[in-house]
Amino acid sequence: MAKARPIAGLDADVPYALAAAATLRVRAAELFEHAEGVLDTDEIERVHAMRVASRRLRAVLEIYAPCFPPKPFRAALRDVKRIADALGARRDPDVQLEGLERFAELLPAADRPGIHAFIAGIRREQADGNAVLAQALERLDQHDLRARLEALADAAAALVPVPVGDDAGEGS
Amino acid sequence: MKAGRVTGIDPTGPLADNAERIVRLRLEELHGFVPAVLDPAEVEALHDMRIAAKRLRYVLEVTAEPCFGPYAAKAAKRAKDLQDLIGEIHDCDVALPRVRAEAQAAREAGAVALLARAGDAADVDPGLAAELPRADEHRGLATLETYLTARRRLLFERFLELWRALEREGFRARLEYALAERPTDGAITRLSPDDNVAPSG
Repeated sequence: MAKARPIAGLDADVPYALAAAATLRVRAAELFEHAEGVLDTDEIERVHAMRVASRRLRAVLEIYAPCFPPKPFRAALRDVKRIADALGARRDPDVQLEGLERFAELLPAADRPGIHAFIAGIRREQADGNAVLAQALERLDQHDLRARLEALADAAAALVPVPVGDDAGEGS
Repeated sequence: MKAGRVTGIDPTGPLADNAERIVRLRLEELHGFVPAVLDPAEVEALHDMRIAAKRLRYVLEVTAEPCFGPYAAKAAKRAKDLQDLIGEIHDCDVALPRVRAEAQAAREAGAVALLARAGDAADVDPGLAAELPRADEHRGLATLETYLTARRRLLFERFLELWRALEREGFRARLEYALAERPTDGAITRLSPDDNVAPSG
């Protein structure tokens, strides 16, 4: 699992809305960086990494909610929740299958038909989860979530007035 | 479980002041599930506590280091430990009814086949019960159910131990103290207890 990237320039005194903008930009970028190859059921760590990124992004949206314009914020949060749920629909069976297959190997042969019957149901869930995830990923592109998150970050940053003198030209 | 609404947030105010409000509420929400969760039958309360731990963890992961110093960062790890352990218990709680349902379905398939074999007989001949459909699955499903039941109990004991350890550690009080701290010149005040001590030099 990828470690969350540190957010540059955060300290106790930084205005909340600027922290929101900086954190949202980094966490949003992390989500899209992990999107590649997540539909490959042989590479289950990719889904895990993207799911973790989606949870971090969702948490950032919720923590900094008052900094964002309500309507686009709600729509973006809904889409992030949707992708997080879709990733969960794939990840949960991935994890269960891993554990059950290990469990079956450790048992005597007489126990295995029952475990394998249970595993078959989880495999169907994994396939269903992958279909749900494929749709959710397509929706991410269609609805341009990336650009909408960037716009939310810009709106948060704009809440904090630029201190007088900060925009003075270098040559003045 | 819906998160409580944090009041008094000022987007133009300092990160630490706003984050403190959020963390205090999330910490209170987490503790609101005690003593209910100490009862192993309170499955829903435990599930909600996991969500509360997750919310506390995430807000601390975002704000602990820049705003509140070392104990808050440690508290984020404690919240994660709690979330992970309750998550393992939750997995057992989700899997157990499914395994029972699968075992029931296997038995039902056998019963239906047995009835068909009996046909118009006045009673079911015990000799017809041999080699029923899905009969080979019973043992494994029973083993899996037993395993999950035992694992759930053991994990719940570990949860109780972890919670007691957090209480002994003074988790809540220490985190609340850390929240009231503010870095001075990039360091936590020297009056801080715990790990919230300004680096020398």
